[in-house]
Amino acid sequence: MPELSKPLPAEDRLVLLPKNPGNFFIFWQLSAGRAEAFRSGALGPDVELRLSYSDDLTHAHSYHLPWQPGRAYVRVPDQGRVYCAALYAQRGANWEKLLESNTAAAPAAAGQAEDRAYASLEFHKRVST
Amino acid sequence: MSSRGSLMFLLHAHLPYVNHPQNSGFLEENWFFEAVVETYVPLISVLERLAAEGIRPGVAVSISPTLGAMLENEELEAKLQEYVESRLELLEKEVVRAQNDPALLKTVKLYQKLYEEAAGLMHKYSGDLITPLKALQHAGQIEIITTSATHAVLPLLARPEAVRAQLAVAAEDYLDRFNRKPAGFWLPECAYEPRLNSYLKLSGFNYTFMESHAVETLSAPNGVYSPYRTSNGLGLFARDAASSREVWSAKFGYPGDPAYREFYRDLGYDGEYEYIRPYLGTEGARRPLGLKYHRITGANVDLAAKHYYDPEAALARVDAHASDFLARRMKQTDDFYNARGSRPLIVSCYDAELFGHWWFEGPAFLEAVIRKIRAERLPLQFVTPSEYLNSCQEPAELSPGMSSWGENGYFDPWLNETNDFVYPAVYSATDKMIETANRFRNQDLNSLAVRALNQAARETLLAQSSDWAFLLYIGSHSEYAKGRLEDHAANARKLLGEVIEKRIDEPALVALERQNNLFPRLDFKVFSSVSRF
Repeated sequence: MPELSKPLPAEDRLVLLPKNPGNFFIFWQLSAGRAEAFRSGALGPDVELRLSYSDDLTHAHSYHLPWQPGRAYVRVPDQGRVYCAALYAQRGANWEKLLESNTAAAPAAAGQAEDRAYASLEFHKRVST
Repeated sequence: MSSRGSLMFLLHAHLPYVNHPQNSGFLEENWFFEAVVETYVPLISVLERLAAEGIRPGVAVSISPTLGAMLENEELEAKLQEYVESRLELLEKEVVRAQNDPALLKTVKLYQKLYEEAAGLMHKYSGDLITPLKALQHAGQIEIITTSATHAVLPLLARPEAVRAQLAVAAEDYLDRFNRKPAGFWLPECAYEPRLNSYLKLSGFNYTFMESHAVETLSAPNGVYSPYRTSNGLGLFARDAASSREVWSAKFGYPGDPAYREFYRDLGYDGEYEYIRPYLGTEGARRPLGLKYHRITGANVDLAAKHYYDPEAALARVDAHASDFLARRMKQTDDFYNARGSRPLIVSCYDAELFGHWWFEGPAFLEAVIRKIRAERLPLQFVTPSEYLNSCQEPAELSPGMSSWGENGYFDPWLNETNDFVYPAVYSATDKMIETANRFRNQDLNSLAVRALNQAARETLLAQSSDWAFLLYIGSHSEYAKGRLEDHAANARKLLGEVIEKRIDEPALVALERQNNLFPRLDFKVFSSVSRF
């Protein structure tokens, strides 16, 4: 998996992005203090990512993920809905909210012709083969 | 003859901003030189030739702000001049080398003509190829639109401030370049999401384009064959998949014809090394020289077994393909007209660089299509988007969902395991830019701090370009793409930190201002959370 050449400065953010009707991409960046809390064991090694519907904030789905590398692809519970995410970490027996994301809509799937062409990509693909 | 339907061609011209003033023979700058010679000059020549003969082309051209800035960059113009002169010098040698090989000589002379045409047009307009495009628009021959400032895929920019900045900078850039406000906006990668409607309207745009499946799934009354409008009055044109596939698809489309020029066989790889060494750049590694003497020959023919290109045979296929393209459009319009009793609009959107650079015969195809409509008195007419919206009935309201014209129809090419690491860097720079713009927007700053903030805004915009993720995905120039992304994000953060800490490195700032010197009027406050919107 490609990585950046240098680590980014310590800042907190959780960003939710639509990839396709079935998947979101989500990444999080943690301040030095929070990262140290994970490294020292003050926070559990896994995070819980909770997706909620943004219109009524009801819970849609939760995912348990390792706190590093700080990014993941997660299944979309229902296509065509708008979501927001929150990142939780475990401190002792309690789950503590660390970050909230932007809202992001999941595309609704559309039927497509199999031979739909994306020209630039088709031509470029010949370079790499 | 009255029209039975309308055709709308949108050619989207874009290249990432590549400018390395401290280097000569920089490999990635060749993208620009090749596109000028093979695409932009031939297209301008076609449009000018048709207009001069009283045949109005009526096509729409999207020129990205990054490409526009490159076309106006004097240092790049000088390098382009050198590039064309060096190719003409090589072609003189090639004429001698091919003297006893008539089949090769025909193609060498074709390239000589191509490069002489480029030199001639550049001389005619003093190196500034925006001038003829502006004149064509002013004369009503074409309509020029814009796209986001650095070709960011807007649905992947979650920060409203970043989306607004991409649109506002693009609108201002267009106004400066074409002396009028832009009416239309090409969504980079045709990537649409509903929240963009309000941003586009607030930025002054009247219409945009979207992928066909965004419309087809909604039981829209006329499918892709009429424009629509959003609830806030933004005009929407849907891309017609059929006409796109015929031109775009390397597998099913015209560009794969055996008579057409083979893209991947090039003198830069075939030529005797010492002979071509002067044209390979300072490092001397073999690279494409843009002189390609072979034809596709067949679908699975090895590069080494390709036959020589035959310009006359290729032109005969262009003529046949133009006729086929129009026959298919006539059938589409007749089918629609017979079923609905109204005239359809067929919207065909293509990357401009497909015409000439990838598909060498593309400009000739475009010219043949336009000429045939006139010569054969076909009941079709080319229209530009603004003309159509100004003359059609009030479009029906539609609320399309997310889509793009990329592989699989959404955002997979720009967001996958090969390139997802770019987004933390992009958001790190973007968030810092927004935070710093908010902090300083109402403060009196000295001119050095303002310059640093404005350059940070340029670097942030450049980090957001879709090109870096795309190049990483296709595995082409990956190290360059990664380096550019990291450099722009790091430059933005460094400059913002220097302004906050009041320790600006002016020589470093000057170097960045020289290299990444687009958007001369850019004001960093465009990134602030409360702006002119």
